[in-house]
Amino acid sequence: MTAAFAHPVTIWIVSATGAVLALAAAAIGWLSASGRAKPEFRRELWLRFGSWCVLLPLMIGPVLAGRAWTIGAVTLLGLLGYREYARATGLFRERVLSAVVALGIVAVNFAALDNWYGFFVALFPLTVCVLAVASIPLDRPQGYVQRVGLAVLGYMLFGAGLAHLGFMANDANYRPLVLLLLTAVALNDCAAFTCGKLIGGRKLLPATSPNKTISGALGAVVVTGGVVALLGSVLFAGTPMGAWHWLLLLGVLVSVAGQAGDLMLSSIKRDIGIKDMGAVLPGHGGILDRFNSLLLVSPLVFHLVHYVVGLGTDAPTRLITGG
Amino acid sequence: MDWQLRPARDLGMAPGDRLRSLSRERGLFGMAANATWRWLLRLYFRLFHRLEVDGRENLPAAPFVLIGNHTSHLDALVLASILRGDSARRAHALAAGEVFFQSGPGALLSAYAINAFPIWRGKTKRGEMAALRARLVEDGLVYILFPEGTRSRTGAMGEFQPGLAMLLAGTGVPVVPCFIEGAFEAWPATRKWPRPGKLRVRIGSPVSMEGDRATAMAACRGAVVALGH
Repeated sequence: MTAAFAHPVTIWIVSATGAVLALAAAAIGWLSASGRAKPEFRRELWLRFGSWCVLLPLMIGPVLAGRAWTIGAVTLLGLLGYREYARATGLFRERVLSAVVALGIVAVNFAALDNWYGFFVALFPLTVCVLAVASIPLDRPQGYVQRVGLAVLGYMLFGAGLAHLGFMANDANYRPLVLLLLTAVALNDCAAFTCGKLIGGRKLLPATSPNKTISGALGAVVVTGGVVALLGSVLFAGTPMGAWHWLLLLGVLVSVAGQAGDLMLSSIKRDIGIKDMGAVLPGHGGILDRFNSLLLVSPLVFHLVHYVVGLGTDAPTRLITGG
Repeated sequence: MDWQLRPARDLGMAPGDRLRSLSRERGLFGMAANATWRWLLRLYFRLFHRLEVDGRENLPAAPFVLIGNHTSHLDALVLASILRGDSARRAHALAAGEVFFQSGPGALLSAYAINAFPIWRGKTKRGEMAALRARLVEDGLVYILFPEGTRSRTGAMGEFQPGLAMLLAGTGVPVVPCFIEGAFEAWPATRKWPRPGKLRVRIGSPVSMEGDRATAMAACRGAVVALGH
């Protein structure tokens, strides 16, 4: 417990999250009691609130619990995310490719658990090589480019990309950084929605996501970028990453990559012609509808921080495989 | 270029509804669960019932409908266990919803292990029949069903219900008749659990369902009866 809350940023993030939940409950309760909102809207709000009450402990709990729990949770998120993606695109009917992607997701997260960076990095080209040849023995060249292209994108997003979030847990000081990313992408969504509603103006990409505005996108960059840079200054104090230009880049990167991940999923859904990726989370849709922002943020932030200060470089490597 | 972005038929359904839906499509987990279940079934039938199968060469490529006499809960399981390869992976038993899908755990087992679709007695709507027909043809499935509609309480074969002919009308999908011998003695409706005993399945030549429904149904029943002699 002491280790889990060793860093002040961890305490601040967990406390702020609890406070926001309590505030949301009070606000929805007040709306319900005063009868100011329509019953359907109130029901929708309570559904979303209920989902958050389940989701937040599932997100924050493993990070606080330890390295292996964090990597385990990221593995599960990757597999569930790929499942939704494969069912939405129809790729799940390609059993061989789906099995290779699932094994690749498990393997890359195992490399993270082993803290074997060389294998972790090598698994991307290796898995793509296997995906390129896996369906050839079926002797069904029709649709080859499409199914392999979808499988490579699926592995990139839910395996190689998302696993960077788990690999961060090899750093002794991973908790505040991972919690910062998890909560910053949620804040990013809220900031974009609120700024867009308050300021309004031109649509960002109306054919991709009709409700998003340019003011919302820029507002999210300012709000999320500012919060991430501010907390980052405490988190990275005394390291090269603590320089203002790196903090600024980190803040902007989290916000822009988060929104890009959101728009990427919107593009996928528009192309297929579906509204939600699933129905697991009442009020949200599928798991990917909630976690889309993390898909691009994880690898980008990992490589920025790893480039500037290194992540997990002092920790013992190849914990399971040895060598 | 035959690839189309075709989402799962059950996309967006709540988990509980999905289990009981005729649109349910399996992923890797469902495939693995069903493959394990089939392996266990084959082992069980070999060890406890010394299962013998005649006429496997009569099984066509999917889609087709496997029918048989119905005297025991073992019937659907034994017919599922005799299929091999692609046909086995595509096989869905059409099972009584009230018996197999009423409870949560029952629905989980029926959907994931047995890979059954629910048929609600007396409540089957025209749309559901159309959905079953579309999936049979478009997805190239194999259905296992018992045209008598319920287990025989005496061991003697009853009359066939007309649902089979309605299901297959205009599809050109063949029916493969089977006769299951020994299931009534091993696990009749009056017993709580099965007992060991010899089981034999005879598989006949496919029957066409084209033409007059009553004639086609009579041909199906006749084929099953003939296999029993």
